[in-house]
Amino acid sequence: MAERILKRPLYIIVGLLSAAVIVLLLFWKPTVVVYGVQRAGLYAGIALPMALILGIVHIVNLAHGEFMITAAYITYFLCNSFGMSPFAALVPVVIVMFLLGMLIFKFTIKHTLKAPELNQLILTFGLAMVLTQGLNLIATSQPRKISLDFVTSSATVGETTFGTYGFIYDLAAVLILAGLLFFLRKTKFGKAAVAVGQNPRGARIIGIDVNKIYILVFSLAIALTGIMGVLFLTSQSIFPLAGGSYTMKSFCLVAMAGMGSLPGIVFASIGLGIAESFIMSFQGYGGWSNIVFFALIIIVILIKSFKGKR
Amino acid sequence: MKSGIKTLVLVLMILLISTALFAGGQSEEGVKPIKLGGVWPLADITGEQGSKSAQLAVDEINAAGGLLGRPVELIVIDSEFKPEKGAAAIDRLATIENVDVFLGGMSSGVHLGQIPTLKKYKKVTVWTGAASGRAEEAMGPDAAWYFHLHPWDYNQGASYVEGWEAIGAKYPDLATAKWFMAYEEGAFGTASFNNWVELWGDNGIVEGESFTSAAFGGGDYSAVLEHAKEANPDIFVWAGYAADALPMMEQTKAVGFEPKTYIGSPPGWPSDFGDSPLAENVMFYGMWTPEMNKINKISKHYYDAYVKKYKATPETYFAPLGYTAVYIIAEAIKRAGTVETEALIKALEATAYESPLGETITFGPSNIIQHQGIRRQKIIQWQNDKQEIIWPFEYKTSDPVYPFPSWNKR
Repeated sequence: MAERILKRPLYIIVGLLSAAVIVLLLFWKPTVVVYGVQRAGLYAGIALPMALILGIVHIVNLAHGEFMITAAYITYFLCNSFGMSPFAALVPVVIVMFLLGMLIFKFTIKHTLKAPELNQLILTFGLAMVLTQGLNLIATSQPRKISLDFVTSSATVGETTFGTYGFIYDLAAVLILAGLLFFLRKTKFGKAAVAVGQNPRGARIIGIDVNKIYILVFSLAIALTGIMGVLFLTSQSIFPLAGGSYTMKSFCLVAMAGMGSLPGIVFASIGLGIAESFIMSFQGYGGWSNIVFFALIIIVILIKSFKGKR
Repeated sequence: MKSGIKTLVLVLMILLISTALFAGGQSEEGVKPIKLGGVWPLADITGEQGSKSAQLAVDEINAAGGLLGRPVELIVIDSEFKPEKGAAAIDRLATIENVDVFLGGMSSGVHLGQIPTLKKYKKVTVWTGAASGRAEEAMGPDAAWYFHLHPWDYNQGASYVEGWEAIGAKYPDLATAKWFMAYEEGAFGTASFNNWVELWGDNGIVEGESFTSAAFGGGDYSAVLEHAKEANPDIFVWAGYAADALPMMEQTKAVGFEPKTYIGSPPGWPSDFGDSPLAENVMFYGMWTPEMNKINKISKHYYDAYVKKYKATPETYFAPLGYTAVYIIAEAIKRAGTVETEALIKALEATAYESPLGETITFGPSNIIQHQGIRRQKIIQWQNDKQEIIWPFEYKTSDPVYPFPSWNKR
């Protein structure tokens, strides 16, 4: 990968320019970088599992954010009923989400793998509706939040005080990325999964159990959204509809990074996180941050498609 | 033998039919209930507790012998917070359930969708929700059958100014000169900020900035809070939704922002907000709190009855508001001696109901409609996990705690 980057002068120029902008911002508006990077961690952590599913199973999971919120509700239930800390709940939640992913794949998604993409989209959209309405019936629409003292942790550098808990999302995103790259590049099962993602028919011919790869990769991705659901609950209120906007943002990030590109997700998240944070740092212009988010995505996709035509 | 069996069957049938007819006749003439039709968003705490409180009032009235010798029946339909469902609920209550009076309500958006349907039936309506002036405009000045309990947004704004001026005069150390409002970027927050600038602008410096509410995919308030910190206001107020409440407090602490007075202004609080140490001494607006029990015996009666019946405590002012609506209707039916619309309107116009909310509720014209009930909100403060009333002073349950204590001293 490093060789590929060094051979492309455009990558070097963009990389140097980005580094210069970040250094400049650190002196001019340090909190833009701090909050931008924290925001990027949240986006990347949620989008990475979606990219994994898209890259290997070739399904756009429109229930992605809803799975995350389902995990957050399970965590809330465990914390409230058994007095568990959210971090202690991480293990059971990840196991439950993995099993939920297996069940949903086996009984629904598996049957649409050979169907037109529109059918797959409608199916996952339907799953999102079922999860949202199910949560609404069980937990009502009332927002829930666990009050935790450590999420208010802060640091002061010079005259600037900023919250530090948001860096947990960066840590999670880095661990998820490193774990996935290790899994896909160094393990036999991961290499088989990459082969299935590149050419399922060829993989089947050489004896790889494609269905097994699909179900395990899908379940793994749902388990990873479970990790993000647990972390999300620690710092945000949850309610049944809270996942929808993260499905949309994850999908946009995946499209911007290139379908299935895991490191690309992280770079795209950092760019968008800092861009949003920069806009929000100007009083009265916060409302433009969403416009900037989607405008940047449109520009990148247009440039990519233009380059593709050439 | 055969003719004997035939005769026996015939006699039995006549007996059965006459018994059924006799019983039916009794039902039609003697025990036909007075029907109240309520619409609330039942998945939300406001609707859940508002409708339960209305049922509590109906149970009390029936236990005391009903109205005009007839039992009272409450039929509740869920609006699901959707205007089209809210409108369909009114249709069903009018046509299938054939109710005598409409009541309930929460959310201006839902009510805007219901108003054309309410106008179609012109039944007596006692409404507990909807603060938006747009709903009042949509209802118009001609709806004599419409009785609105909740203050309109301009009523609320005026009462806040009145309240803060009174507090400023009584507690001169509690500075109220410079305000910063963080408001959610939707209609609710923007209207709140515009109203505030209009009402308060001449009296002090008002700055503000919008944020994306967690209810709409936001939840990062750090930039707005940094700007508020730079502005160094006397009073910081945020207008958003329940989903913003705790994250807003946590991020305020994280950025090291310690305003002298901290106000939260969501339409409803999360049920566990008071459990957080960050809630301590946050001020907010509302019409009722359980602390009203200390000074109002109707509130105490209502609260105890609610807890006894439902094994839970009322958490929102929409709960006693639902109870109040039923009693206002019941007293008017007693005065009118009928549920006929014209007589009932006249009886409702004579309402002077001592409510659990503190106020004696009467109806009079507002900017547009003919029958407006409550016009003021109260200023309340979280103190030791209790919601103490600070203003109006006639309902005061505690003095305000100020300045807002440092985050590290909690």
